[in-house]
Amino acid sequence: MKLNMTNFLVGAVVALILASMSIFIVDQRQTAIVFQLGEVVRVETAPGIKFKVPLLQNVRFFDSRILTLDSDDPERFITAEKKNVLVDSFIKWRIIDVKQYYISVGGDEARAQTRLTQTVNSTLREEFGKRTIHEVVSGKREELMRVVQEKTDVDARKIGVEVLDVRLKRVDFPNTISDSIYSRMEAERKRVANELRATGNAESEKIRADADRQREVILAQAYRDAQKIKGEGDARASALYAAAFGRNPEFYAFYRSLDVYKQGFKNKSDVMVLDAGSPFFKYLKGSGRDGK
Amino acid sequence: MGLNDPQWGNKNSGGPPDLEEMMRKFNRKIESLFGRSGGGSPKGGGSQPAGGMGSGIGLIVLIVALIWIASGFYIVDASQRGVVLRFGKQVEITDAGPRWHFPYPIETVEVVNLSQVRTVEVGYRDNEKNKMLKESLMLTDDENIIDIQFAVQYFLKDPAEYLFNNRMADDKETVRQVAETAIREVVGRSKMDFVLYEGREQIAASTTKLIQDILDRYKSGIIVSKVTMRNAQPPEQVQAAFDDAVKASQDRERQKNEGQAYANDVVPRAKGAAARLMQEADGYKQRVVANAEGDASRFKQILVEYEKAPQVTRERMYQDMKQQILTSTSKVLVDQKSGGGNLLYLPLDKLIQSTNPGADAPPAAKTAEQLAVPAEAAPAPRVRESLFGREREAR
Repeated sequence: MKLNMTNFLVGAVVALILASMSIFIVDQRQTAIVFQLGEVVRVETAPGIKFKVPLLQNVRFFDSRILTLDSDDPERFITAEKKNVLVDSFIKWRIIDVKQYYISVGGDEARAQTRLTQTVNSTLREEFGKRTIHEVVSGKREELMRVVQEKTDVDARKIGVEVLDVRLKRVDFPNTISDSIYSRMEAERKRVANELRATGNAESEKIRADADRQREVILAQAYRDAQKIKGEGDARASALYAAAFGRNPEFYAFYRSLDVYKQGFKNKSDVMVLDAGSPFFKYLKGSGRDGK
Repeated sequence: MGLNDPQWGNKNSGGPPDLEEMMRKFNRKIESLFGRSGGGSPKGGGSQPAGGMGSGIGLIVLIVALIWIASGFYIVDASQRGVVLRFGKQVEITDAGPRWHFPYPIETVEVVNLSQVRTVEVGYRDNEKNKMLKESLMLTDDENIIDIQFAVQYFLKDPAEYLFNNRMADDKETVRQVAETAIREVVGRSKMDFVLYEGREQIAASTTKLIQDILDRYKSGIIVSKVTMRNAQPPEQVQAAFDDAVKASQDRERQKNEGQAYANDVVPRAKGAAARLMQEADGYKQRVVANAEGDASRFKQILVEYEKAPQVTRERMYQDMKQQILTSTSKVLVDQKSGGGNLLYLPLDKLIQSTNPGADAPPAAKTAEQLAVPAEAAPAPRVRESLFGREREAR
C-alpha cells in the first residue's frame, strides 16, 4: 500500500513533467515554430493546445500582433527644391510568415526593425526627392505615405513581414529655415496690421467727409429755402407798400422823409448845427408872412 | 479555505478536522514519502494504519485541488470586461460580477477596463503652459508654422480587438502617435488663418475622423470620443506681430466708429441748424409782411385825411417832426451871415462828449429795415442844413 502510494505520487509527478515537456499552448497573440534539433518542423499559427515530442523538439514563440516602430530621432531628407526637412515617421508592421522571418532575421526583432527602418528611410529619401515641400506637407502627403508603404511592404515580405502603414508625423524645417519662416510671418502680419490701420483711417475719413458734405448740403439747401421764403415775404411786403404808397407817391416821399428825420435825430448825442438863415428858423427871426 | 464548508464533504467524517492532527499527518506523510529525513525512521514508523496514510495524502491532494479550483475565481467590475482564453484561444467575454474560469493552465482571463474615458494630451503635458514644442509646432498649407495643443479623449470599445490585434506598451502612446500624424495631415491641408481663427471646430472634427480611421485600420478596438482644441496660436516668436494685427483690426473698427460718431454728431446738428434757418425765414416773412401791412394801413389812413386838407396836414406834420427832432437832440445855432469870412471853430467832439452821458442809447428799431437810415453823429453842417432846405410846393 505504502509503496503503491509512493509509486503513484512519483508517477504522477513524472507524468506531469513529461506532459509539460510535450504540451505547449499557443496564445491567440502568438505564432509558434516547432524545431527539431534546430530544424523547423512546423509552424503553429492557430491558438490552442499543441503537442510536441519532448526533449527532441523545442518551441519558439513570436508575436503575431501589429507592432510599432517609431524612431525617436527625425531623419533629414532633401526635397525636390533642394531644401532640408526633418521627418519623423512611424511604421506599423506584423510578422506574417514566421518561418521566413526566422530564417532571414533569426527571429530577432531588433534586426527586423533595423532592416525596416533602412528600407523606409531610403524609400522616403527617394520620394521626398521627387516632391516639393508643399506637396509633402499638404498636397501629396497621403499619396507619399501610401507609396512608401507599398514599396516598403514589397521589400518587407522578403523577411516575412507585412508593412501595414507608414505614417509621417513631423515634417519640419531645420531651425535656420524656421527662423526665416518666422520673420516672413511677422512681416506678413505687419503688412496686414498696417493695411488694417490704413483702411480704418481711410474709412473713418470717408465717413467724416461724407458727414461734412451732408452738413454743407443740408445747410445750403436750408439757406436756399430760407431765402426763398424771405423773398416771398419781401415780395409780399413790397407789393403791399407799392399798393399803399402808389396812391400818392409825392405824399409818401414827404411822409416817409419825416419819419426818417424823426428816427435819425432822436438822441441827445445827435448834435445839430443849425444856420440861423435856414428856412427852419423862418419864424425865429420874425413872424412876417413874407414867404420866400 | 472551503474545508469547513459541509458541501465539500469531509473525509474524516465527524466534526471539523483538527488542524494539529492534520499537520502531524502531513509531516508523517512527508516522512514516509522521503523516508530518511532528519535521520532514522521515526519510532513506530510502520505502526501507522495504512488507511490513515491514504486519507492524509488524499487530503493533501484535495487541498491542492481546492486551491487550484479557487484560483479560477475572479471579479469583473461594472466598467470592465473579462476576456477568457482557453488554451490561448478566446472563448468568451464576461460581464460584471463574480466569475469563475477553469484554472490555469486550461483557461486564463484578461480583464480590460472599458468605460473609463482616457485622455491623451498632444503638444503639452498636464496644462497648456507646459508645452511640448516638438509636438505642437507644425506646418500649414501656406508654409506657416503654428503651435497647437489639443487633447484626445477615447475609450476601449472592443476588449478582444484591443487585446489581440496590436502590441501596445501603452494605449496612450499609440493614440498619441496616431493623433500626431492625423493633426499634422489635417493642418498641412489647411491655411493658417483657417486653423487659427474660423476653422478650429472643423479642424477638430476632421482630426477626430482621421484618428478614428487610422485606429480602425489597425483594428485597435479604440473609439475616439472627442478631440478638444486647447490652443491654436502662432508660435511665440511671432505672437507679438499677430497680436498687433488683431489690435489693428480693432483699431480699424474703433476708427470707423469714431468717424460714425462724428457723422452722428454733425449731421443732426446741421439738420437742426437748417430747421432753425427755415423757422427764422418763416418768422422773417411773417414779420415783414405784417410790418408792411401795418405800415400800408397806417399810410392809407393818413392819406385819406391828407387828401381832405393837404396844405394844413403837411404843415402840421412838418412842424411835428421839427418839434420832435429839436426836443430830442443837441443843437448848435450858427449865424453865418454875421460871422462874415471868419472861420468858425466848433469843437464837435467835445460837444458830443458833453451831451453823451455814457453809452449811446440803442437806436430804435426801424420800421422797415431795407429803408433804414443809420443814425450817425452830426455830419458837416451843410449837409444837415440841406435836409431842411426842402422844396416847398409853390402855392
